[in-house]
Amino acid sequence: MTDPTISEQTQSLVQELRRGVIILAALSQLHEEQYGYSLMKQLEDRGMQIDQGTLYPLLRRLEEQNLLQSDWRVDSSRPRRYYVLSETGKKILEELTEEWSRLKNTIDNLLFED
Amino acid sequence: MEYLNTYLNEISRRLPRKNRVDIIEEIRSLLMDIIEERSPGANPDEATVKAVLKDYGSPHQVAQQYIDYQPLIGPELYPIYQLVLKIVLIVIAALNLVGVLIAIVSGVFIETSLFIAIVDRFFDLVGSLVNVFGIVTLVFFLFERLASKEFKKEVKEDWSPDDLSLTEDKTRISIPEIIAEITLGVIFIVLINVFLEKIGIYFRKDTGWAFTPFLNMHVLRYIPRLTASIVLDIGLNLYLIRQGAWNRAAIVAKIIINLFKIALFAAIIFGPAILSIEPTAWEALNLDLTLTAQRFNQLINTALSAVLGLTILSLTIDVMRHLVQTFVKKEAAGLKIKTG
Repeated sequence: MTDPTISEQTQSLVQELRRGVIILAALSQLHEEQYGYSLMKQLEDRGMQIDQGTLYPLLRRLEEQNLLQSDWRVDSSRPRRYYVLSETGKKILEELTEEWSRLKNTIDNLLFED
Repeated sequence: MEYLNTYLNEISRRLPRKNRVDIIEEIRSLLMDIIEERSPGANPDEATVKAVLKDYGSPHQVAQQYIDYQPLIGPELYPIYQLVLKIVLIVIAALNLVGVLIAIVSGVFIETSLFIAIVDRFFDLVGSLVNVFGIVTLVFFLFERLASKEFKKEVKEDWSPDDLSLTEDKTRISIPEIIAEITLGVIFIVLINVFLEKIGIYFRKDTGWAFTPFLNMHVLRYIPRLTASIVLDIGLNLYLIRQGAWNRAAIVAKIIINLFKIALFAAIIFGPAILSIEPTAWEALNLDLTLTAQRFNQLINTALSAVLGLTILSLTIDVMRHLVQTFVKKEAAGLKIKTG
């Protein structure tokens, strides 16, 4: 994400571009319960690096909007907060996914076809 | 772990009270996950903890991500805010300028150097502009918090190309006008209720600034009614903003408020004079006019009565206009429909 060869301006534009899809990325991995750190790791493993300072507050916000539900649970050694998609969240994820495919096709057409 | 606790405290301080504990516990658990991964085992060393905290970001940065920043004045209201601010500031500046010109012409500054006087006035002006800026901003801030979401949406979305047509819709309200009225109303209420004793003429004497009040004690009896009429006006304006248009209830209220004001102004005209300048202060002013203080007081009170009389006239016309518009024109329109 922080490629030194691209200019600061490009970086801030890239950030803006990613901002919209971070929500989609996070929601996509929450069919199963996850706690913050495990979600971050899983996203990273699959090539989507999200700054922790962005991801964790985002989860709370998504919960406030009823897309996620969460609860504290003690497993192994200490309490962790687990997040999972709510019913509303599932529905919205579906809609967002459709919108994403449409958008991706459109942009691909614009960028790569004459 | 000392570092971790201090770090969390620093974040906690910067978070809104609501959810604070919960957020901190979550961050603690997340940090522990990272620390554990980097240094498995029961007791992580200080260096690891410090490195993790450094990566995680400064307490300020972390807390910031959890705060939903609400603008003082949102994008829906901002254009109106700007417009009202511009109008009000220009009016205040113009009034001040007129005051300075009158003072120069009438020779109030004779005893002092004109330059110093103008510099003084300039600082006065800056002071009152800052005050007014504060009041307008406060009114809009309250409005931002109190106005319904629906209304704000309306400001943004509820328009049709018909709005561009030049035919005047009698029920339409002008938001900037209403907000300017509310703002001026608030300023006036503050002025007569808080700064009443400060209203008067300021002038230079050998010993420094002197002041003589403009209004006498008779004005006190009108303050509650004056305040009430402005509060009613503001209430009506808020109602109009909520409704988005004039309706019959609003018009009836307007008529009642106007009648109330007419009665009040008439009472002031026929009551004892409320403007008076002490003869000693009058002498000290040294205006170079061949007028006695008594005569001057008579003159300014007559002038005030004339202004109030004109106001009554315009209020009466306003009442008539509203009456005709709602009760006579509606019937005419109804007749048209019946016959057509």
